[in-house]
Amino acid sequence: MDRIQIPATSRSPLVDFDFPAGRLVLRGESYPEDAAAFYGPLLQALRGHLDEGDGPLTVDVALSYFNSSSAKALMNLFMPLEDAAGEGRDVTVRWLYAEGDDTIAEAGEDFAADFSHARFEMVQETAA
Amino acid sequence: MSGEILDQAGGARRGGSLRGAGPLRRGDAPTDLGLTEVPTTRDGGADTMRPGALRGAARGRNLDGLAHTLFLRLSPVIAALVLLTQVAIAWVNYGDQIRIEGERAQMMADMTARALSRPDWTASYGPSLQALGLDPTFRFAVLRDGTGSVVARLGEEPRGRNFERVQVSAEIAGGAGDRPAGSLTLVLSAEGLRANAEKQFVMVLGASLVLILAFALALRLAVRRHVLAPLDRLLTAMGRVERKDWAVVDLAGSRRPSREIADISAAFNRMVEGLKSGDEARHLLAELERTHGQLAEANGLVMESLGYARRIQQAVLPGPDALRHSGLDLAVLWEPLHVVGGDYFWVEEIDGVTIVVVADCTGHGVPGAFLTLIVATALDRILHDRGLREPDAILGALDEAVRGRLRQAADEAGGSDDGLDCGVCVVDRSAGTLHFAGAGLALTVLSGDAVTRIKGRRHGLGYRLTGREEVIAEKVLPLDGTETVFLMTDGVSDQMGGASRRLLGHRGVAEILLRHRNLPLAGQVAALERDLAAHRGSEPRRDDMALVAFRPVRT
Repeated sequence: MDRIQIPATSRSPLVDFDFPAGRLVLRGESYPEDAAAFYGPLLQALRGHLDEGDGPLTVDVALSYFNSSSAKALMNLFMPLEDAAGEGRDVTVRWLYAEGDDTIAEAGEDFAADFSHARFEMVQETAA
Repeated sequence: MSGEILDQAGGARRGGSLRGAGPLRRGDAPTDLGLTEVPTTRDGGADTMRPGALRGAARGRNLDGLAHTLFLRLSPVIAALVLLTQVAIAWVNYGDQIRIEGERAQMMADMTARALSRPDWTASYGPSLQALGLDPTFRFAVLRDGTGSVVARLGEEPRGRNFERVQVSAEIAGGAGDRPAGSLTLVLSAEGLRANAEKQFVMVLGASLVLILAFALALRLAVRRHVLAPLDRLLTAMGRVERKDWAVVDLAGSRRPSREIADISAAFNRMVEGLKSGDEARHLLAELERTHGQLAEANGLVMESLGYARRIQQAVLPGPDALRHSGLDLAVLWEPLHVVGGDYFWVEEIDGVTIVVVADCTGHGVPGAFLTLIVATALDRILHDRGLREPDAILGALDEAVRGRLRQAADEAGGSDDGLDCGVCVVDRSAGTLHFAGAGLALTVLSGDAVTRIKGRRHGLGYRLTGREEVIAEKVLPLDGTETVFLMTDGVSDQMGGASRRLLGHRGVAEILLRHRNLPLAGQVAALERDLAAHRGSEPRRDDMALVAFRPVRT
């Protein structure tokens, strides 16, 4: 699986799915007009990668805003990750939120409830 | 018939005189006046450039005329000068030869006279005279004695013009006393010299002509190569530029223009570049304006259509009457992000209880609005046909209805993966209770200085089943009549802004609500809306907003 890199726009996050390195990053804001169209190919690529290899995988999610469609898309991305972890793969999801951003932190805590096999880390980022 | 005569008369009049002949039309060529056609401008003489005007003018003053003019002006001067110089040289030459011939003739005469200066010369002159006759130019000689009578003559006595001969005489010494013994007169022909001079003149004339011809040819060639050809290129380019074909002049090549024309051509090229970029900018601007116009029109159509859709969506929302007769002190905020949206609310008093529903369908704009119609239809069936009054039952039924309507069963292909967050309140004023159930949507209760947030289930309604959905649980709150209850979509709290560019969050919203808790309900909602806008600042809104606020009034 090749690396997927999509630059951020005002409505969609930066995507850097470096499958060979086992490092996936989503960063920015996410409220695309058609969330399914944006996240669909990413989900497919992730599934493909999970089927192919068995190396460790780290997923960094650093979103300062996402709408409910994107939340649903994130949930869809997290499910196969949790399933792969359940099958013994080393999967870490790092939920990055800005210091004091309670809304995003809370959303992260909500997502954490979906994981029991994969590691889900809450990472507070201090303002640079 | 009469018309024809009039026409002829009119034509004759117009042809006859320009003054008082009425307006001249373009077709009336007054050829008989010897006038060439002059382009007339009808717009008061503002001589706008017409395509081809320049070329026409240039053709009228044939460029070959330049070489012609130079030749006509210069060649007579050069010819006269060359001719004059050569003639003067020939004339001096001729004079010199005449003089030398005269001196030779004198010498011959002197020598013969000296040879004859003997006492008996009258008897023995023969051989000397014969010797004179041997000279090729000899014409005539006469010997006279001391008294002047002719002793002997040789040759023919010349007649006619004297410039064709050289005549000299010499005295024969040896007479009585100092007197000469006789005289010799010698005439030599100068015809040879004259013929010589004439030949030379013809040669000079011929040489001059050849010189002038060579000069003319060289001039013409040089002018054609370095002046006419570059000018012609310039003119061609000008003609093309007139038709907005942005041609520039090539300044290199074998037909290199003279410096002045090269300067003009370079200036012309710069001018063309300027015109071209100006014209391109004008074209781009026109293109841009046209595109902008089309976009504006398309946008206008879309906005018009959306405006219409908004009226329909508003008609599906509870009207003012439903809100007035809800049995509650109630205020609403409904503001889609793009004219129409996916946020929806329902307020209705049925069977002594008030049912308040707030829903946030996935997406906003038109797709969101489609989903709200499904929700509205489903709620109508659930509340009116099926008569469900429990929030958890209502949400469960809504979940089923949406999933069925959107073909989201696991085995169905081609269905959507959309859904909604939803919160339902059932307020029973007689019992003093509020029943709440939520799916992805929380209830906010403001009581005194405290803000309580009651979360519903994390997952929303609809969507394809993942098998991880929690059961929808209902919560019952006792009411004491001091509470203000808010049911709102996440668009209200998800306001990006502030100094740190961060989401306001439900805590931020709670702070605002607390700040305005003493205002009447409508005022509180209006103040919230103002404060949200203040938080956003220059940031745009991210989502639709819907909020229903109510204060249960004890009956």
